[in-house]
This record gives sequence, C-alpha cells and structure tokens, in this order.
Amino acid sequence: MNSFELVALVSLLYLALLFMVAYYADRKREQGQSIISNANIYSLSLAVYCTSWTFYGSVGRAATSGLDFLTIYLGPTLIAFSWWFLLRRMVRISKEQNIVSIADFISCRYGKSAFMGAIVTIFAVVGIMPYIALQLKAVSQTFDILTIPASQLSHGFNHFLPRLPSYIDTAFVVALFLGLFGVLFGARHLDASERHEGLVAAIALESLIKIVAFLAVGIFITYGAFDGFTDIFTRFAEKFPDRHQLLLIDTEQIPYVKWFSLTFISMMAFMFLPRQFHIMVIENSDEEHIKKAMWRFPAYIFAINLFVIPIALGGLLLNNGDVTNADYFVINLPLQTGHHWLGMLAYLGGFSAAAGMVMVSSVALATMILNHLIMPLILKFQIETRDFSVMLINIKRFAILAVIFLGYLYYRIIGESYALVNIGLISFIASTQFAPALIGGLYWKRATRRGAALGLILGFLVWFYTLLIPSFVRSGWLHSDILENGLLGLKFLRPLELFGLSGFDIWSHSLFWTMFFNVGAFLTLSLFSQPTESEEEQIGKFVDVFDKRLEPQERQRISKAPTVVEFIDLMTKFIGEKQAHTAISEYLGNREIDLRGSLSEFELPGLKHFTERTLAGSVGAAPARIIVENYLATRGSEMEDVFDIFGSVTISRTASREQLSILYESARVVASGAPLKKILDEILDLLGDQFKFDLCVIRIIDHESMTLTVRSQRGMSSEHLGQSERELTMETCIGQTFLTNSPVVVNDSDFMDKQATAEIIHREGIKAFAHAPITIEGEPIGVLSAFSKQVKGIFTDEFVELFTSLAGQVGVAWRNNQQTERLIEAHEQQKEMEIAKTIQLGLLPSTVPQLPGIVLAGICVPAKEVGGDYYDYLVRDDGSLDLVIADVSGHNIGSALLMAETRTFIRAQSVSLASTDLVLEALNEFFYEDLGQAELFITMVFLKYQPRTRLLEYSSAGHNPPIVYRAASGEIERLDAEGLILGVIHEVRFERKRLELQPGDLLLLYTDGITEAENSHGDFFGDERLCAIIPELVDLEPQQIIDQLLEQVRLFTGVHNFRDDISLVVMKVEEDTGTD
Amino acid sequence: MKKMRQPSQLKEAWVLCFLLGVVMLNYPFIHIFNKDATLFGIPILILYLMVGWPLSIMVIFLFTRLLDRNSSQPDNRDQP
Repeated sequence: MNSFELVALVSLLYLALLFMVAYYADRKREQGQSIISNANIYSLSLAVYCTSWTFYGSVGRAATSGLDFLTIYLGPTLIAFSWWFLLRRMVRISKEQNIVSIADFISCRYGKSAFMGAIVTIFAVVGIMPYIALQLKAVSQTFDILTIPASQLSHGFNHFLPRLPSYIDTAFVVALFLGLFGVLFGARHLDASERHEGLVAAIALESLIKIVAFLAVGIFITYGAFDGFTDIFTRFAEKFPDRHQLLLIDTEQIPYVKWFSLTFISMMAFMFLPRQFHIMVIENSDEEHIKKAMWRFPAYIFAINLFVIPIALGGLLLNNGDVTNADYFVINLPLQTGHHWLGMLAYLGGFSAAAGMVMVSSVALATMILNHLIMPLILKFQIETRDFSVMLINIKRFAILAVIFLGYLYYRIIGESYALVNIGLISFIASTQFAPALIGGLYWKRATRRGAALGLILGFLVWFYTLLIPSFVRSGWLHSDILENGLLGLKFLRPLELFGLSGFDIWSHSLFWTMFFNVGAFLTLSLFSQPTESEEEQIGKFVDVFDKRLEPQERQRISKAPTVVEFIDLMTKFIGEKQAHTAISEYLGNREIDLRGSLSEFELPGLKHFTERTLAGSVGAAPARIIVENYLATRGSEMEDVFDIFGSVTISRTASREQLSILYESARVVASGAPLKKILDEILDLLGDQFKFDLCVIRIIDHESMTLTVRSQRGMSSEHLGQSERELTMETCIGQTFLTNSPVVVNDSDFMDKQATAEIIHREGIKAFAHAPITIEGEPIGVLSAFSKQVKGIFTDEFVELFTSLAGQVGVAWRNNQQTERLIEAHEQQKEMEIAKTIQLGLLPSTVPQLPGIVLAGICVPAKEVGGDYYDYLVRDDGSLDLVIADVSGHNIGSALLMAETRTFIRAQSVSLASTDLVLEALNEFFYEDLGQAELFITMVFLKYQPRTRLLEYSSAGHNPPIVYRAASGEIERLDAEGLILGVIHEVRFERKRLELQPGDLLLLYTDGITEAENSHGDFFGDERLCAIIPELVDLEPQQIIDQLLEQVRLFTGVHNFRDDISLVVMKVEEDTGTD
Repeated sequence: MKKMRQPSQLKEAWVLCFLLGVVMLNYPFIHIFNKDATLFGIPILILYLMVGWPLSIMVIFLFTRLLDRNSSQPDNRDQP
C-alpha cells in the first residue's frame, strides 16, 4: 500500500521530469540543434500509439475475451509495409504544403476547403472523446488502486478519494493536471512551425518508460511468480480447462469476421488518428527516419505484447479466475505479491501511456480547432483585438483543456459500463472514417470535395448511430428502447442491427455500415461531380507528389540559376552563419560541388525546398516560403535591399508570427513599386492598424531648411505632433533620434527629461511614444514616430526591434524612390537627345548637288551630346547656289526644332529674297520673338554663288567667318561681314559683301565645333591651326579635304568623339571651267 | 532515381508482402493453426503468431536494407 501523498508526489515529479526534457529539447531547437531528429526518437515517439489501453487493456482483453487484443498491433505491423510509399507520400506532401494537422491535410487536398477542415475537426474531436475518456479512466483507477487500502478493492475501486470533496473525483483531478501539462507542452507560446520538439522528446521518453515498466512486470510474472511461459500455459490448461477458448480464435467471442475487422480498423486508426498523424507526419523531421521506423516500431509493439498473455493467464491463476479486475492485472499482480515498487513502476508506465496520448491528442486537436473552427470565425466576423497573438494562444490553451474535459464528460456518462478496449475501439472506427477521403485523395485524381465531404458526413452519422448511441444506452444515459425497437420504433433502424443486418459483433457491424456509406458516397459523388478550380490545382500536388521534382515550372522559376553560396547567404541572414553552413553541408553530403555553385539545375528545386524547410524551422513555414520565393524571383533586383534589412537587423527567432508578418507585408509594399507617398502611407497604416497607435508619422530631412518635414501621417490630426516641422536639436526627442541615429523610446510620458517635447506630449494626452531613425546606408535621413494615447509601456524591446526595421524599410523605399526619379530623369533626357538627334540629322542634305564648275562636299559630325549645327545647299532656278551654315545654341529638342524652322523658312523664303542680307534680315525678324523667349540664338552665314560669273555674295549673322583659299597667291582670306546673331535685336541690318572666285579657289564653311575643339591641355584647335592646314590640302577633292581636316582635329584632341557638333562645307572652283 | 526498374519491382514486392501478411493472418489460413494443441508446451496458435510476427518484422528490415542499397547506387553513378 502506497500513501496518497507518495503516489501524487511521484506523479507530479514524473511530469516535472518530462517537462524538463521537453524544455531542454525546445531550448536546443532554439539554438538550432535538434535532439529529436533521429530515427530512434522518431520510432519511439510513434509508440504514442500504445496508450493505457495497451498497457492495461490488452491484459484485460486477453483474460476475458481472448486473442483479439493482438489485432490492434498486428494491423500496424502490416500497414508498416506500406509506409515507404504511403507515409512517405503523406510526409512529403505535408512538408511541401506546410500542413499542420490531418484536418489541414484533407482540406488542402480538396481545394483548401474551409468546410472540409471544419467537419474533419468536429468529427475528430467527437471521435477522440471516448479515447481520452479511456485514459482518464485508466489513470484515475490505477491511482485509486495504489492509494485505497487493498481490503476495499474487492468492493470496487471506483470510490472517490475520501480526502477530496465528493464532486471532484480522481479522474477530474487527473484531467486537470493532464490539461495543464498539455498547455505547458503544446501551447507555451505560439509556435511558428507547429512543430513541438519538446513534446516529441517527452513522448519518446514516456515510450521508453512504458516498455521498461511493462517488460519488468512481464518478466516478474513469467519468471518470478511462475516458471516461464511453458509453466504458465500448462498450469492454466490444468486449472481452467473450460477456458481454453481464450487461446483460440473463431470462438463465440472472436469470430473470424471480428478478427479481420479489428485488424483493418487498427491499420486505419494507426495511420489516421489525429495524434498518430501529428507525430508521424507533422513532427517527422526527415523522410529517411521512416525507413528505420518501419521495423523498429513494429519491433517495439511486438516486445510490449510479448508478455500480455503470460500476465493475463498469470493473473487468472493468481486470482482464481476472477476477471473483475482483469484490466488492472498489470498493476495489481505486483501489489498482490507485495512488490510495491514494481506496482509503482507499472503505475508510472501506465501513467506515461495515458499522459502521452492525452497530451499529443489534445495539442493536435487544439491546433485543428484553432485553425479550422476559430480562425474562420475570426476572419469572417473580423474580430479585432489589441494583441492578436495573445488571444490566439489563449484560445489554443482553452481548446486543449476543452478537449480533455470533453473526454472527462464522456467518462462520467459511460462510467463503468465499458471495458478499456471497447471504449478505444469506438474512437478507432471514428478515425477509420478519414481513410477513404485521405487515401482516395492521395492516389485517385477523380476524388472530389463533394464526394469526400458526403462520405465523411455519412460515415460519421452512421458511426454515431451504431456505436455512440449504444454506448450511451448501455451506460443508462439513454433509454434502451432505441436498441430494442429502433429509432422512432422502426425495427430496421435498430443501431446494432441496422437494416436487419444481424449476427455480427458490434465492431464489424459498425465498420461495415460506416464504410458502406462512406466509401459508397465518396466514390459515387466523386464520379458524378467535377473538381472545382482550386481543387484541380491541389490534385497534382498530392497525387503526383513524387514526380514533382521534374516539373518544368519549378525550374523555370529559378531561371537565373542561383548558386549554393547564395542559398547559404540567405540562410545565414536568418539562422546564423554556422548553422547555415552545417545545414547545407548536411544536405549536400559528400556530393562533389564546388562552392562557387556548379549545382545542376536538377538539384536546385531540392536545394530550394531544403532552404525553405530550414528557414521554416526558425521563422515559420509560411514566411519561409515567402522569403525564398521572393528572393529567387527578384534576385539581383531591388528586392534584395528588402532582404538586406532583414540581414542588418537580426530578428530574434522568437519574434512572433504577427511581427514577422508586418515586416513581410511592409517589405512587399516597399517592393511593390507604388508611388512613394502611397508606400509611406501603407507602412504607417500597417503599423497603426496592428498596434492600434493613435498617430504614426514619417518625417524626412529637408536639406535646405535643415528641418524634419512631415512626409506622411496617419491617425489623429495633431498640429503639434503630426503636422509641424521639427528643428534639428537635441532639445526634442525627434531631434535626438536623428542626431544620435538611434531610437528613442518613452514608455511613460510622465517621466521625461526633455521639456520641449514633454509640453506637447502632455497637451495631446500621449502616454507612450517611440522614434526610430530612418536611414540610408547607415546615414539618418528622417524619423519614424509612433504615439499611443492608451497604453503605457507598449514598447517592448521586441517591438523596438521591429519598429527599427520598419524605419529601415522606409529608408529603402525612400532611396528606391530617389533612384527611380533620377533614372526617369536620365531616361527622359536621353530620349529627348535621341529625338533631337533624329530631327537634326533629318534636316541635313542627303545628297550633294552637281553643278558645273564646282565640286561640293559637306558633313556634320554630331557630338555625343546633340548640337544645333545645320548646313544646306539650295540650287536656284538661275543656276546659282545658296549655301547656308548655322549653329543653334543649346542641345535639346528646342534647338533642333528651331533648326527645322530655320530650314523651312530659308527653303521657302530665300527664293523671293534677292540678296543674302535680306534673307538674314527676314530670318531675324521671324525669329525675334521666338528666340527671345526660348533664350536661344542662331549664328549663320548665308552665301550665294553664281558658277557662271564665279561671283560670291555673302552675309553673316555673327558666325565664324568662312575661309577662302586663293589658289593663285596661296593666300587665305576670311569672309567677314558685319551682322549680329539672329533673334537678339528687333531690327538688324546685315552687311552684304561680294567676292569673285578664281579657278582653283577653295571655300570652307565651318562651325565653332572645329575651332573650339579642345585637347587635354585645354587648348583650342583654333582658327590659325585651321588656316595653316588648308594650303596643304588644296590639291585634294573636297570630300578628302573634309576627311583630312577631321583627322587633324582628332589627332589634336586625342579622342575620337567630339564634344560639340562639327560641320564643314567645302566648295572648290574647278580649274577647267569658267567664263570667258 | 525512379527511372530504374528495381524500385518499381520493389514496390510490387512490398504490396505482395502486405497481401501475404493479410492472408496469413486471416481465415482460412489462420484456421490451420487454430487448434487446441501445444508445441513445446505453448499453444500452437500463439506460437504461430509470436514467431510469425518477428519474421514479418525481419522481412521489413531486409526490405529497408534493400531500399538503402538501391537508393545509394544511382547516387554513386551520378558522381563518377
């Protein structure tokens, strides 16, 4: 007999030990190490399948009904054959889709349907209720066995503990404690990736304890109390010859049909119980572990079953065939033989079995309740709250307790009427209902949501009717009328003989009808309904999951193949350099890959997924996917700035999902390329909405006035806080933030040292505020501010971290905008230049006129920056030739257009104007107004040459004087004529001069581009140099002269391109022609 | 990795073993051992189950070994 205090203390100490293990695992994980990521722990954690049903119930079953307890373990052994295909497929899909529960899995397959998620959740919660009741029953009763005096045991051990008020029984206390520990293990904080390494570690330890305890009891009975297996069987056969059916099947208790049904049910239950799914699929950290677990887990359940029959038979022998306590032989036999320490060990084993199951189930179900029942409601009704994450975690905690107390409720209803195994089987058949939708969805492309939904609903209704109702009746909670006469007195609706199907055991009967309706509806409706669009999208991801790595789309997305190093860099930003390198080298293994990245395209998707998974471990699955995909999609573009922010501000990996989501959201806004004002507004909206600030302001430095000017403001309008400019001074908090380039946080405005700021703050009723510098490459350019009127102390360290990174993003947005503006400006300039250039080149004569007695050539070499040079030849009807060369100031479309106007005017008007000076006068008149306004001017020389008389008449408007080379004397003459540049003064008189050319003479017209060509010393090419060269060239053809001249200029400047346009026109009077 | 014939053969072998397991555990096969007799003092049905069970686990173990060898071979060939 153990005292109540001792047993309670040991139970609590044991729970505390489990919690420490879990805590240690969680801490390790935060440091980037995983103590659970190995095949042994995975195999052990799968043994959460072995609950107190296994620990106590199997023996009870073996002692009362016979060998059918084995089916519950033979089923999983058989289904283990399929794991490498079925389970691996489920794991792969869950990792790729970031699935967190079985409800998530089914809803995801059927088009991410919220409805499917909700019904699976409801059915799972109702279906698991009996199973949890079973655990509570087992723990509380064994507790009572240990603590209530043995003399009372024969009267039944379901007495309430005398030390407690009568309305609180042991089961209630157990439920309360398991609930609290469920919260501690599974919902201490909102886990980003829905993986609970601590919980898994605790479960693995519990699995170890329970097998050790059970083997200890088994060995003690078999070899301590008896003399081995043979001895027990022999003595049993001698003492109870009438009970030989316990060692056979095909008996009244266990017909072959039942044997088969139970094997099938346990196969399905093992795969699809929510807690099994959670441990097997969601908590799986590596597909390779499945391979090892495939035989290690069956070996575990074989070992735990090895001594069930000896203990059962031994119990019968020791108790003279009394089976009332058969369910608790495991704990009773050691106690009966006076081995209290062994009884205690057995109790701990059973307690482990029950506690593990309750905790994992409640956490898995609470996740489902939160994601599929509560979240849709929150989203639908747009419930707002100050702190979302706190609300969610509290809902999850509450859900864990609620799930456990639903089980308690069922326990109170059912009470003693059912044996442990029978209660558990009700839940097994419930989880079997998930099988058609899930397996069908994995392998059958035609499976549709409607089919799956109807199948599930019908299956569960039939389950409820054929199993749950009878259990209520048997406990006396419902009237037995329904069992005998059927619903509404319709005999064919009797729950245990539905539609007249009699002669079957309750399990086979229920299994048959539930599967008949479930599979039937699923197949039929799937065949006759079309998958929706969103379903279509998901089908491939589930059915063809293993072909996916070859999907072309996946490779296209990584069009510019990133290198391994880039992936490492990305990971380093989030999980630190060391971990990133360790992770990647683990992944790459011994593949020969040089780190500069020659990784085959085929491997990239794999590496991408790996990166995503690694990041998911620290920032959560959904953000990880956003990060990796955006990174790949925008590599080398502006988006990288956004990621640099994440890199420069180390976000603690404990940062909540909400905080990260704000950062990602704002990063998206920044990268969206929207107008700056909109980006700033949206970031402030985001900040304001999430934290319920009363005012958020962005101020940017104005370099002229050296004040911080408001660029965006959201929230209450306050002239003092939100609209006015701020001087750069240490007297104000904003000034201090900017000048010291570090955030300033005031969590309680009653305690402030800055008078200037305090006055305004108090006037506006602000309780707390924070400023963070907005920086570009480390240099402050402004300040981001947030003010709260409601709460003091709102700015935690974590928040300030987030706030600072948000300010950094504003900086990026600002810089991006500046760059964009500059780019647009440059772009526009360039475009204008091109237009101007096109216009200019279009104006120049494309052919040279052929006139007797002269040879002509002309060229305009446009500079890099477009100029306004223009020359033209116009042949008149009388055989004379007009020559014009002009230079328009300015280098833009305006000057090009002016040139076009000039050309048009000359071509049109000069015919009617008899002399050169008149042409210029008319032009001056024409341009006076235009040019004055445009601040442009034109220099020009206009010449008329009559080949017959060789008379040259010319006028100049401030242009470089043309040069004439006299062949006879070898002299150079400059054709200077008085005249102002065009468009400056209203009425200008131009001088007209005449000159007679002789055969062999050379006329050269040029623009200042040639004389002002500059060499590296800053010297001009100049008139004199030009005049000196000409005599050397006179024997050449005009075109060659031009070429030579340009060559000389290039030699002088030393560069190929000219800074200004160079225009040259050369006219040579031929020797052999002339007049008499 | 999946281009070879062996994995698909392996998969079929898995299915075969699974079906064999189901058959051997059920009527009529199990009826052979469902007799009120003992061997070495242990009822024959229990002996059958308790020996057959570890054997099937052994089969799974051997298969996973085969799986390991199969998946490591193509990898080696990728990198001569």
